Amino acid sequence: MPITNPRSWPLAIKLSLTIIVVVAAVGFMIGAVMVARDWSRFHDELGEKALRLSEYVAINAPRAMQRKNYWSLYLSLKNIAARRAGAAAKHEIITAMILDANGLVQAHLNPAGNPLGIAFSPSSQIEQDLFEQAMSARNPIVLSSGGFSKQDFLEGVVPLFSDQKYMGVVRVRLSVAPLYDEAIRSALIVLGLVFCFVIIGSAVGVLASRRMVRPLTAVTQGLEAVGRGEMTDFAPVPIKDSDEIGRLGVTFNQIMSELAEKKMLEEEIAMSEKLVALGRITAGVAHEINNPLGGLLNCIDTLQRHPDDRQLVDRYLPVIEQGLHRIKDIVQNLLVGLKIEENDQKINIEHIDNLRDLITADIGERNIAVVWNNRVNKEVYVPVKLEQIIYNLLKNALEVLPKSGRIIFDMYEEGEFLIFEVGDSGPGIPSNIRNQLFDPFFTTKTNGTGLGLWVVYRLVESMQGIIEVESEQGEGTIFHVSVPVIRVKAA
Amino acid sequence: MRLIYLLLIVCFSSAVTANTEPPIRFGLTAVVMTENTRFLDDWSQYLEQKMGRKVEFVLRRSYRDVMDLLDSGGIEFAWICGYPYVQTRKPESLRLMTVPIYRGSPSYYSYIIVHHRSPYKRFSDLNGKVFAFSDPDSNSGFLYPLSVITRNGDKPEAFFRETFFTFNHAETIQAIAEQVADGGAVDSYIWEYLAAFKPEVTAKTRIIKRSPKFGFPPLVSRLGVAETTVELMKDTLENMDQDATGKALLAKLKLDGFGNYSDSLYNEIRGMANKIQTTTSNLFTVTN
Repeated sequence: MPITNPRSWPLAIKLSLTIIVVVAAVGFMIGAVMVARDWSRFHDELGEKALRLSEYVAINAPRAMQRKNYWSLYLSLKNIAARRAGAAAKHEIITAMILDANGLVQAHLNPAGNPLGIAFSPSSQIEQDLFEQAMSARNPIVLSSGGFSKQDFLEGVVPLFSDQKYMGVVRVRLSVAPLYDEAIRSALIVLGLVFCFVIIGSAVGVLASRRMVRPLTAVTQGLEAVGRGEMTDFAPVPIKDSDEIGRLGVTFNQIMSELAEKKMLEEEIAMSEKLVALGRITAGVAHEINNPLGGLLNCIDTLQRHPDDRQLVDRYLPVIEQGLHRIKDIVQNLLVGLKIEENDQKINIEHIDNLRDLITADIGERNIAVVWNNRVNKEVYVPVKLEQIIYNLLKNALEVLPKSGRIIFDMYEEGEFLIFEVGDSGPGIPSNIRNQLFDPFFTTKTNGTGLGLWVVYRLVESMQGIIEVESEQGEGTIFHVSVPVIRVKAA
Repeated sequence: MRLIYLLLIVCFSSAVTANTEPPIRFGLTAVVMTENTRFLDDWSQYLEQKMGRKVEFVLRRSYRDVMDLLDSGGIEFAWICGYPYVQTRKPESLRLMTVPIYRGSPSYYSYIIVHHRSPYKRFSDLNGKVFAFSDPDSNSGFLYPLSVITRNGDKPEAFFRETFFTFNHAETIQAIAEQVADGGAVDSYIWEYLAAFKPEVTAKTRIIKRSPKFGFPPLVSRLGVAETTVELMKDTLENMDQDATGKALLAKLKLDGFGNYSDSLYNEIRGMANKIQTTTSNLFTVTN
């Protein structure tokens, strides 16, 4: 799975990331609220300050205006400006002015640009709006340029009255630039604190989540090992807590140890079964070879005692030959069954049809019909082993039939499998011996070696095929074999 | 009430005990000189030492305040301007004692100054502009510019757009330097004094007109002060240039000394004042 897909990320990372995101979001939200509150507090304080300065100027302004004492008006503005600058205060006065009821300048902190006795002329639309608001104010108000930049300002506006007659207005404008710097500074501090908080919180969260997830990771790795079939080298999941994950770990450890035990038991059983099979084969070989050997040795002994009896020689030599052939058959079959060589040789499917002639020859005088049905595409090639499997099954069918009967051979393709059936109309297999049908040296025939079906079973197994037997007492038997198709042409 | 009685008794009793040596009180305004408390302490100490009498400087904001003090007997001596000196009082309450000698003569000028970057070249350019006077009783800072306007046939009340009083020549210079006013009239003595001690301020002003010579603001005595006291004060002041301490004090004042001059020194101012009085009567609101 691609690493970009979060669904494939380890739980420890996802949990850690979630904690980091949550901690950061909470931290930055708190930080933002603090910064916003700070700014609003600074803003209010600045407005209050502007108003206070205006009110201070407004105390003596009406009297001085009536007496045309412009110099003292100007000095009062100078005073507040000098005082603010001298106090190393956070606020600087951008400008200050006293206007009369008609908007004529009575005093201005920048006298060169705003001559005495001339109507104050706003330099921009914003200034015009502020001027109109200031002139229409009949109560002290704080005006704002409305923005949040170093160029913005707050203005304390105090209307002047003398004996309830409107005289004009005092306007003192404070820059928000120092406030801006202050806000930036405090925002940086808050940001720094939040950052530390996020780092520490995230680290704690990551450690905690890793610690929590560790047993789960171990369980997952253990289960993956089970999937691969490795169970014996399983290391138990370390359990520290008794929470849900802890309990999961305990249960998992139990299951794993039980599984490992079961697997060991199975291996032991398999081993003992192998030993049993080996023992059975060895015993079978010993028995089957020992039987003719006894007769053979008797014959040879008799012949040695009567070396000149031509009649005995003629009688015993065929017996000896027959006995040796039997031993040879047994050894050959054993070799085939035990040592299945990887024979890559392939034959065309048509080759199988030759077996029909072979088996027909074996029928001899008996009244046995052979129904042959090869429906496989002529292009298909099969391993040479298949010929032996089919021949053995056909021979087996022939041997179980009494003087008359029928043998059916049907072969066809089904998907990726080559399927064939060999049926006979014989007596069928009693159900109590069906389990031993493919065991070596198991036979119901007086003259059989008990290796034919065993060899078939071994060959089918070596081809990753399946053999099944279907039989009913008195109704005959059908061997059903399916092996994977090999379409490669013969070399 | 009881407290006031008590205070009166205390005052009265102290006046009685100090009756033999009452302090000599000397009235000053910030118009004639820059405020320098330490200098006044040194000067009063010097005078006390020379005269053997306690000398107190009494500072007031305007000439009018100082004149009121003289009239009411609150002070014995005063340094006033030529304009209040020449104004007729009935009955006369003061008399010329001594005159400061500045740059070799008992005279000074009125300077009409403008901002150094302004386009104004002559007095008439200031028509319709803002003008700063120093004191309504100042010759150089009020009477002279008024006389220039009336001499040209203009009406003083309509010549300027706005006017104001600073009650201080130094602040008039500041008002011009900071362009609160377009033009102003100042004492040449104060302008030169500032040019020496605060050249950065005077450098922002430009003199566009200089008046004829006027008698330097005089030191006067109140009529009724004992003749011996007046003589002692006059001698002490006029001999200040005779000793090192006195010379050092004079140097700080940028004066050469004090001299005995006749009342005719103020005829020029007197003539201007008479003309103005006939043409203007309280045209300008005098404020405190």
